[in-house]
Amino acid sequence: MTTVSRRAFLRSSGVGVGLGLLGGCAPAMKGDFAPKAGPRVVVIGGGWGGATAAKYVRLGDPGIEVILLEPNKQFISCPLSNLVLSGVRSIDSLTFGYGGLRSHGVRILHEAATAIEPDTKRVRVGEGYLQYDRLIVSPGIEFQTEQIDGLAAAGDQVLHAWKAGPQTVELARRLQAIPDGGVFVLTVPPIAYRCPPGPYERTCQIAWYLKHNKPRSKLIVLDANQNIVSKPGLFRAAWKDYPNIDYRASSKVVKVDPSTREVTTEFGDRVKYDVVNVIPPQRAGTIAVQADLVGADKRWCQVDHVTYESVKHKAIHVIGDSTIGIPVPKSGTVANAMGKICANAVVHLIGGQQPPPMPPVNVCYSWVSDKEAMAVINAYRIEGGKVVQIEQKLTPGQSQAFGQNALGWFHSIRNDILG
Amino acid sequence: MTNRGRTLVGLAGLALILAVAAPASPGPKDPGYAKAFSCSACHGWDGASRTDTVPVLAGMPAWYLKKAIQDYAAGKRPASEMEPYAKMVLQLGVDDVANYFAKQPKPAPLPVDPAAVERGRAAAAPCAVCHGATGKGDPAKGVPDLTGQPAGYLKNQMLLFKADKRSAGDPTLSAIKALMKGIPDAQYADLAAYFSSQR
Repeated sequence: MTTVSRRAFLRSSGVGVGLGLLGGCAPAMKGDFAPKAGPRVVVIGGGWGGATAAKYVRLGDPGIEVILLEPNKQFISCPLSNLVLSGVRSIDSLTFGYGGLRSHGVRILHEAATAIEPDTKRVRVGEGYLQYDRLIVSPGIEFQTEQIDGLAAAGDQVLHAWKAGPQTVELARRLQAIPDGGVFVLTVPPIAYRCPPGPYERTCQIAWYLKHNKPRSKLIVLDANQNIVSKPGLFRAAWKDYPNIDYRASSKVVKVDPSTREVTTEFGDRVKYDVVNVIPPQRAGTIAVQADLVGADKRWCQVDHVTYESVKHKAIHVIGDSTIGIPVPKSGTVANAMGKICANAVVHLIGGQQPPPMPPVNVCYSWVSDKEAMAVINAYRIEGGKVVQIEQKLTPGQSQAFGQNALGWFHSIRNDILG
Repeated sequence: MTNRGRTLVGLAGLALILAVAAPASPGPKDPGYAKAFSCSACHGWDGASRTDTVPVLAGMPAWYLKKAIQDYAAGKRPASEMEPYAKMVLQLGVDDVANYFAKQPKPAPLPVDPAAVERGRAAAAPCAVCHGATGKGDPAKGVPDLTGQPAGYLKNQMLLFKADKRSAGDPTLSAIKALMKGIPDAQYADLAAYFSSQR
């Protein structure tokens, strides 16, 4: 448990300089370490959804105080991180600071929320707490490691690399160290999981790397699902360039054993590997589960389609990958859209106004080589208070032009989130 | 007056000039504010794209953004990445969205190669007949403003016109497309750089 001091909060949130507090000897604060002076929104999680929401609450009403709780000091993008595995991009090129949010007046505390108290409208942080008028919860996903025998015990011997960061860099290193002729095994979890096309983009990037650097090696993809989950036709077309891919549908992995370098499927098939990447089954971030925001499935959070307010607790909104029930994928674009729409709804609700119904959007670009990408595009409307899809469209294939558009999207959305 | 004092007065004056020069930016009360959320993931926060291939919506005349949305939705501008969103914007209310972006301040042009700008300037005479010497266009004649748009976007659009893949078969554009066929592909990058550099 950490004890957050008023001094530490003022320092890390970027306020307090000049007030003579930084040089003082303020004791460690318990209780309400940042008393509320006006309307306040607390945001849990500074990823694609939470960082966007924090910024857009301030844009919508600068009179609302916004405190963002995010343990990490830097934002590392999951989108494009599969290109770190293939060596096409560096992790540094996907790493950004939170300075832009501070310039909008968002107070950032690099601490984890440890509990939510809906009845008293408090978020616990270490031994202290923060009061809120509205809470936006954007905790991303957590892994259900217990669903694969041996995974928890394996520790860092078996990587997920499904939250961009040190694991991404380490998996890239292991891929690059694989002997020519070695076998890379990638496992795909059952839906629902973060980034539906992500495992198949990763398949392309690993296969691209092996084709050009370890031509005698192969990639075995063990997919828990009955078919490729997203853009199946486009991915199958792309994979024609990669005869080193051995794709096996309906092959749910239930066991991993680093000592024998072997995974086992639910049908008892054993597959040997030189390097393994297990993307585990997933659920909403732990804080959402602990705060009883998840539904009967104990995995995901149902929300109102217009305000993103939890169906279980008033004044608590949930956005991003933790949500379910809205016909959208768990993508970065959707999390960004939810962040904006939810922020606007929260500003209206705090102001005593009816929030306007606003649908999200989605685009998922997938990189199939070092330069070529393709995409799925979804547009929605609100009908009877629910999100419904207007249309889904695929790019006609893969191309370098779509790759350029993918980079354009990344640049623009990053600025929309953090700029 | 001290140097510091003079500097402060100077800065205050500059701030006043900037405040006067900047167009009034619509805020959260604008009916297009939330509807424009749909666009910013690709076109940038408030439409101020800083990306070579994605057009700037900030400051775009409302009539042209509305026409573009209608053309994308109808398939006259075939683009898988735009067609669903164009249909969505029509349902949300294209006038609100177009008016919102029209009121946003146009960002400074992205940097382009000065040599390409000069080559483009020298080759721009055929374009100037309709678009004007600097590419400001003519709303009365339905001629769009090219200035300040990213060069990559302008080049791609010109090549689509040349190949008759944009507004295909439109008789009002046939003479222009015939003219464009005579311009080598490489020269479009220069023309794009020139118009992109203009304000």
